[in-house]
Amino acid sequence: MGKAKVKLDKDLLEKIKKYAEISGYSSPEEFITHCLEKELAKLEESDSEEEIKKKLKGLGYIS
Amino acid sequence: MSMKRRDFLKTAFLAGALTGLGLEPFSSLAAKGKRDTARKMIILGFDGLDPHLLEIFIRQGKLPAFARLWREGDFKRLGTSIPPQSPVAWSNFITGTDPGGHAIFDFIHRDPQHYLPTFSASKTEEAKKTISLGNLVLPLSGGEVTLLRRGKAFWQYLEEYDIPATVFKIPSNYPPAPTKQRTISGMGTPDILGTYGIFNFYTTTTAEVQQDIGGGRIHNVYVIGNQIEAKLPGPVNTFKKDRPETYIEFKVYLDPVNPVAKISLPGEEFILREGEWSGWKRVEFPLIPTQSVSGICMFYLKQVRPEFKLYVSPINIDPAKPALPLSTPESYSRELAAKFGPFFTKGLPADTSALDSDILDDREFLIQDDFVLEERRAIFEYELKRFESGLLFYYVSSTDQRQHMFWRLLDKNHPAYDERLAKEFGRAIEHIYIEVDRILDKAFSRVDKNTILMVMSDHGFSPFRYAFNLNTWLKENGYLSLINEWKQGEEDFFLNVDWHRTKAYAVGLNGLYINQKGREAEGIVPAKEKEALVREIARKLESFVDPATGERPVRRAFVTQDVYHGPYTQEAPEIILGYNQGYRVSWASPLGRIPKKIIEPNREKWSGDHCMDPAVIPGILLTNRPIQAKFPQLFDLTATILQTFGLPQPPEMRGKPIFKEESWAKPK
Repeated sequence: MGKAKVKLDKDLLEKIKKYAEISGYSSPEEFITHCLEKELAKLEESDSEEEIKKKLKGLGYIS
Repeated sequence: MSMKRRDFLKTAFLAGALTGLGLEPFSSLAAKGKRDTARKMIILGFDGLDPHLLEIFIRQGKLPAFARLWREGDFKRLGTSIPPQSPVAWSNFITGTDPGGHAIFDFIHRDPQHYLPTFSASKTEEAKKTISLGNLVLPLSGGEVTLLRRGKAFWQYLEEYDIPATVFKIPSNYPPAPTKQRTISGMGTPDILGTYGIFNFYTTTTAEVQQDIGGGRIHNVYVIGNQIEAKLPGPVNTFKKDRPETYIEFKVYLDPVNPVAKISLPGEEFILREGEWSGWKRVEFPLIPTQSVSGICMFYLKQVRPEFKLYVSPINIDPAKPALPLSTPESYSRELAAKFGPFFTKGLPADTSALDSDILDDREFLIQDDFVLEERRAIFEYELKRFESGLLFYYVSSTDQRQHMFWRLLDKNHPAYDERLAKEFGRAIEHIYIEVDRILDKAFSRVDKNTILMVMSDHGFSPFRYAFNLNTWLKENGYLSLINEWKQGEEDFFLNVDWHRTKAYAVGLNGLYINQKGREAEGIVPAKEKEALVREIARKLESFVDPATGERPVRRAFVTQDVYHGPYTQEAPEIILGYNQGYRVSWASPLGRIPKKIIEPNREKWSGDHCMDPAVIPGILLTNRPIQAKFPQLFDLTATILQTFGLPQPPEMRGKPIFKEESWAKPK
């Protein structure tokens, strides 16, 4: 699997390390990956909502 | 021609069955196989034709063909489906079952894993296997469009016995069910974008831009040196990795003096005067060098000055080069296009969204709807002329669409009633009844003593004066909870719903679902507690009184387990709401928005409706034979078709024939 480096603000990184440990993540990387996946899922979902809206709007019975 | 063993057995069965009924055996009536049946049926399906209005217009002497059919045969109210929505009702007719047998419960279903609304009628899947080449994604297998209606269609039964059928535009048959019969899909057929229809409107008026209009896109354009440059959006290009929207560029040249414009599309130019429609124009959206998608649309130059306004209809699938399946055989849509030129293929052809959002006015909408009618009439006459045997079904949508949009001008108590408009357009509904009377009159020319002529509608009509926010009612009664109270009414798709504290929710126009543990993604109601909860909610809904009118908005709350039969009953919403006359579900509730008020006045032009209690909006049934059934229902007509052609009725069909066994041969 390919890997990429991402630059983070030092203070943010410290916070991530702290909360990753408190929350029981095995590493800060795992915590970051989980957060990003959750955010991406939300965005992908909203795409499909827009798509549904677009498809149904012309039906006339709904607004 | 030799007869196969299977064909022989069928013929033998038919002869036996008909002798048992006291009818002359089918074979002795010169039925020698396909295109040679002696018995014939012509069925005209006029969507939403209302028995009360029909009777008034007949008594006023405005509908001579209907009056003749009533005089020579019979006229009864026709029991509709639960709920009385067109996709459900026509599926009852097509399959001879109720929703438990065909699995269409509403225009809109829901995905229990995401609580998101879905199309009930069909599902489109892209190619599962693809290959990437640079920025291109090339499919290795075809994508698929699937008809979600279950159950066998009556023309498929007829086909098994070599009885020919032509079925024109019947709803709930997109993509068309596989058959060798001649069929073309109707309501449920998307536009080229895969939607229920999206128009484009080009204007220099900034106030009209950025409006969130259902069913339309508004484009801000600029006049520079009497010239306008614009883009017409097409389907998403799935051949490209980033799936960009396709478009074609076009130019409009304004005459410096006169209210006239020249529209320049790739490969075609035409001139429109202000207030003129273009007729159909073909537009081709390029995907990759070897692939493009063809569509058809109409341009309407609404205004040239002081502000420029150009309307472009939803882009219909081109029947001459269909990008999606439209007909069986596939060549049928091409045959009609070759004979008549392009024609409306989108399921709900007239653009009610454009009228509702004031892009088209009443007069302009009626002109567009007249185009639909003209096309339908021409194709009907063609099909009628070549109808020799078997069954011809013909469908008209304008009866439904006009009643939705113009009821407000019949009903002085409607919140959208306008006296000035009523003077000018108050007879729009009457006119459509007169138009279909003319279609019926034509049909008489092909009726002989061996032909059953039947006119039917899937439901009637009622005023839609008040909108009922069902999800809001659920919240107010403790069945649905929000995450943030202050955000109530802002979001669609239940985004503000706290599923861990929600027992029931409503999606679609009549359906109510329980948030069931193990079925819904975040369900909380155990299966064993469901029935008691369903009955409690149904009881409370039926007893709710609108404080403003003193009326009960919900006349019946049907528990689907009680009223549906068949293998798909488990997939149904738990409750189907039967609204009282004057009430309907709100505009916001079907997609999971939760406004603050339970009931709001409906001030929209969409002012007549039928998503109510079936008992208050029956359809019509007229035939040239006496109707034996006391309360005929849609699925009884399917049984009647099989009876007419002497076919056995499969056990899954619920209906009973409406005629006395021998009556078909004895007109009154």
